[in-house]
Amino acid sequence: MKLYSGKKSIVMTVILVMLVTLAASGCGGRDVGQNDAGEVQPKIAFYAFNSEPILDWDPSVEYSNGIVVLNNVYETLLRYEPISEEVIPVLATEYTKSDDGLTWTFKIREGVKFHNGADLTAKDVKASIDRTIALGQGAAFVWDPVEEIVVKDDYTVDFKLKYPAPLDLIASSGYAAFIMSSEAIEANPEDWFSQGNVAGTGPYTLQSFKMGDEVVLTKFDDYWKGWEGEHFDKVVIKKIPETASRRQLVEKGEADVTMELPYEDIEVLKGNPAVNVMEVPSFQNLLVFFNTEKAPLDNKLVRQAISYAFPYGDVVKYAMGGYAVQGRGPIPVGHWGHGDNLFQYRHDLDKARELLARAGYPDGGLELLFTYMAGDEAEKKTAELFKAELAKIGINMEIRGMPWESQWELSRNPDAQKRQDLLTMYWWPDYASPYSWLYSLYHSEEEILFNLSYWKNAEYDRLIDKGNEMSGIDIEEAENLYIQAQEILVDEAPSIFAYDKKYVWVTNSSFKGFKSNPIYPNVVFFYDTYRE
Amino acid sequence: MRSFIVKRVLLGILVLFGVILITFVLTRVIPSNPAAQWVGQRATAEQIEAAKIELGLDKPLYVQLERYLADLAKGDLGRSLRSHQPVSAELKAYLPATIELVLVSTIVAVIIGIPLGVASAKRKDHMVDHVSRFFSVGAVSLPTFWVGMFLQLIFYRWLGLLPLGGQLSMGIKLTREIPHITGFLMFDSLITGDFVVFRDALAHIILPGITVALYPIGLVARMTRSALLEILDEDYIRAARSYGLPERMVLWSYALKNSLGPTATVVALSIGYTLVNTFLVEAIFSWPGIGSYISSAVISLDYPAIMGVTIFSACAYVVLNLVADVIIALDPRVRV
Amino acid sequence: MTKSSGIMNSIKPRITEIKLSLYLLCRNRLTRLSLGVVILLGLTALAAPFIVPHPEHIETEANPVDKLLPPSGKYYFGTDELGRDIFSRVIYGTRISLQTALIAVGLALLIGIPLGAIAGATGGMVDEVIMRITDIFLSFPPLLLAIAIAAFLGPSLENAMLAIGVSWWPWYTRLIRGQAVSIRERQFVKAARAIGTPPVRIIFGHIVPNCIAPVIVQASMDIGGVILTIASLSFLGLGAQPPTPEWGLMVSTSRNYFLNAWWYSIFPGLAIFVTVLVFNLLGDGLREILDPKTRKI
Repeated sequence: MKLYSGKKSIVMTVILVMLVTLAASGCGGRDVGQNDAGEVQPKIAFYAFNSEPILDWDPSVEYSNGIVVLNNVYETLLRYEPISEEVIPVLATEYTKSDDGLTWTFKIREGVKFHNGADLTAKDVKASIDRTIALGQGAAFVWDPVEEIVVKDDYTVDFKLKYPAPLDLIASSGYAAFIMSSEAIEANPEDWFSQGNVAGTGPYTLQSFKMGDEVVLTKFDDYWKGWEGEHFDKVVIKKIPETASRRQLVEKGEADVTMELPYEDIEVLKGNPAVNVMEVPSFQNLLVFFNTEKAPLDNKLVRQAISYAFPYGDVVKYAMGGYAVQGRGPIPVGHWGHGDNLFQYRHDLDKARELLARAGYPDGGLELLFTYMAGDEAEKKTAELFKAELAKIGINMEIRGMPWESQWELSRNPDAQKRQDLLTMYWWPDYASPYSWLYSLYHSEEEILFNLSYWKNAEYDRLIDKGNEMSGIDIEEAENLYIQAQEILVDEAPSIFAYDKKYVWVTNSSFKGFKSNPIYPNVVFFYDTYRE
Repeated sequence: MRSFIVKRVLLGILVLFGVILITFVLTRVIPSNPAAQWVGQRATAEQIEAAKIELGLDKPLYVQLERYLADLAKGDLGRSLRSHQPVSAELKAYLPATIELVLVSTIVAVIIGIPLGVASAKRKDHMVDHVSRFFSVGAVSLPTFWVGMFLQLIFYRWLGLLPLGGQLSMGIKLTREIPHITGFLMFDSLITGDFVVFRDALAHIILPGITVALYPIGLVARMTRSALLEILDEDYIRAARSYGLPERMVLWSYALKNSLGPTATVVALSIGYTLVNTFLVEAIFSWPGIGSYISSAVISLDYPAIMGVTIFSACAYVVLNLVADVIIALDPRVRV
Repeated sequence: MTKSSGIMNSIKPRITEIKLSLYLLCRNRLTRLSLGVVILLGLTALAAPFIVPHPEHIETEANPVDKLLPPSGKYYFGTDELGRDIFSRVIYGTRISLQTALIAVGLALLIGIPLGAIAGATGGMVDEVIMRITDIFLSFPPLLLAIAIAAFLGPSLENAMLAIGVSWWPWYTRLIRGQAVSIRERQFVKAARAIGTPPVRIIFGHIVPNCIAPVIVQASMDIGGVILTIASLSFLGLGAQPPTPEWGLMVSTSRNYFLNAWWYSIFPGLAIFVTVLVFNLLGDGLREILDPKTRKI
């Protein structure tokens, strides 16, 4: 019993201490740690990210959020500017292609150092891309056209292709196109990179990380662009999944930049002088796929009818808070290959009823299952608004929010009858080419991957495959072919082109120099930014 | 006595084996494709096929189970499908925050729960009893996730007194060297005398701590009450009373002492409950513990991670149960 | 003694017992109040579709023009992010919560009762195996098993009920086994066995009916906990699907809005709290009067 009372007094003391210190702090917790006098504080940028900042440190493999981190640590040969449709030199200073589009020659920048101290040469370029292709994971498939990479001299490298392809766009991909030090590749086992080691040329190098939670980057002193002018010394990218927390961080000035806030919050934040709200185009669009292998959606008329029943205006206005535009075909507005004159369905219930009647369902009476990715607020609202409209034409749609993996698994069930009727998902390109949407989502597939309408059309396939080859030789001809293909697509309506999303960034007003580039979604190139 | 403990431990081991078996079966019968998850969102068919072999999913089920058990014996919980990191390493990184939260709220629960139970037993069927009974049943009936949001609304949004979530202010985290000895933030900052960090950590733990503590407060209060009521009826208490000992002494030093066994049991058990309750609370307060970890694992069906947390929590629960049983067995007064 | 008078003799004390219990139950003010509220909730659940002011906001209609309005004379509890009347949805949610809780508990009983009765009545190896399996299930922290099962089954209200049923049954198995063991040696069971009644008939014809009462009481006391668990699963996205007006799902959705729209999270959460509270208070009262130790007449 003595023991117990002894313990009790300890506990009591601890509580007392807690209460006293709390009282002393004035229930604070807001005050930021004082700077020690005289010491220069490093300039730190904090990015409150909505998800895991990185899942695999291997730049050849990572094919997810990790581009947000990797694009600050590694660099690519080229970078694409979609607004001006320009290709900007990064690690390559210039490039040429042969007339048949089968040989691409890159001049490599001199005087570039890797984080491990090695100098960048053509050998590193070959070793990196060869490694990515050999591992064959993540987005390695973008290099599919490459037959062979040949080092001509220390600063010249040739890419020989199997078939014509836009290699400049591929080399500027945000995924799988990073250049690593060949020394690091050779000296270490294959999983060295994924263990959290870096050997790139980027402005920042890795200081520490907690997997799935946060990454701290620190500046690389020998970065080839130098550290003249205003830059951040450190960059913290942290997962803050709760929208309320992200909003709080940016409002209080603790976070410099964040995204994916609810539109209701954006409206409030617009009036706050402490933050900047940036609305920029994205190449991400929401599509709703019909199961074309299962009745009644195997009937083109029913698909068209439902395309007319979709409340485009309300979805843009209420699910996206106005930060989107109705889609016109599968290629988002602003991306090359977007058809300005393509037919666009509009919300028209009378037309929908008429088409349903022609298809043999005058009173509707259909039961459909709709799946979306659980946790995505905009997809959820879209589903609910859509369901309400379908109810008016006698269609009952069951909504099911699922983890992406289960949703995908259901959609790939060998028995078409057991799959969902409608499925919604976002798509964005691996590199700046319409082929990413047109091939991945609608090209006929032996084994189901992302053609989740299970749609097959030989003429369409021919057109886009031709378009892809032409895009390495004559981009205007390629664009024509792509638009012809989309005309078929819109008429056959294997999916609803719901909306092209806009990104809304919220930044601290003192955070300057940030430019969003939609081809590298959610990426902040921190070297360009500074605090004012 | 010893044979009881041995039997109890053996049963505990059997139970753990069963837990592993059940979680294993659960993960293998569900319609999902771990290999596809392993390679990521936009995988090709060949990549998925290769991953299937890499993960051993092409082998028959019993071989997989054998392999899983062998790994488990080495403390290897497999690799997360998303991060490809060992689940055990990830758990280790997320665990201290959870333990800290559970401990703080358990202490709070004991400090509030026991007096509440005593007060209630002392004046059975009086106003105090009704209020405390209402409070303790109420505490058990509250949806913890909602309480968390409610507290955030009051103390963050309306009063502006406490932070919304997280374990530490970002400003402090970025500008100060955070002490790291045991991994328990409050403890480390206290023993290194870093009061700026301690104060900040304390301010952050208050809301989630209260939220998590509510349930065990109710449990402890109820258990103390019923244990006391039983004891107060016993002869030796009556005798003590009839000798004219002061009521306070009878209650606090005779009766309460004897009801500590059952209450300790409840505390041990409620830690198990609390552990799972923190799963709901951590998500709301962005608390960097295993609750946040399992929430994101559930969203992406990362089954090695879900299994890891499940097995860990079940183990903790079994061990706590065992401890509670042994306490009872060792306490001569409580032995049945 | 004729057969019918035997039944009468066994029923009579039971009726008196029920009457007495009801009397005792209603004597405590708190318990009486909660019994009243439980009945009220039951009636609300039954009448929900007819009494809500905006039945169209339950499933089939969205009204985004009025989104996130605070409580007013038109919308008593305000509106949600798609302009639906939260009051109507909360009221209708009563029906969903009670219905799913009853089904889940029923499922658990359906698994738990036969297993417990078989274990208790048979004894030996069968008993040992069933009870060890029960122990294993009981050693999962209660919510955890439900979360794990629901996560693996995939999110839907049906699966959530299934998950709860599957994780809840061992409690009943344990309870009924204890009863069955004590009944096994009673005269009428011995007699039935002596005249060669098949074991299945003994278990389900004699043992189960005679030990089911405490299980039913326990089950009704568990309703509160089950409602809370369903809400928690829905909150995690493992239960009801939109636009179903399930309370946990509503609170979960409100997380994106509640700092600017307090009413959105407050009312559905309050509904969960009140419902679970009255069931628990009632259960607490029941426990008090049924437990001879604390029973005072």
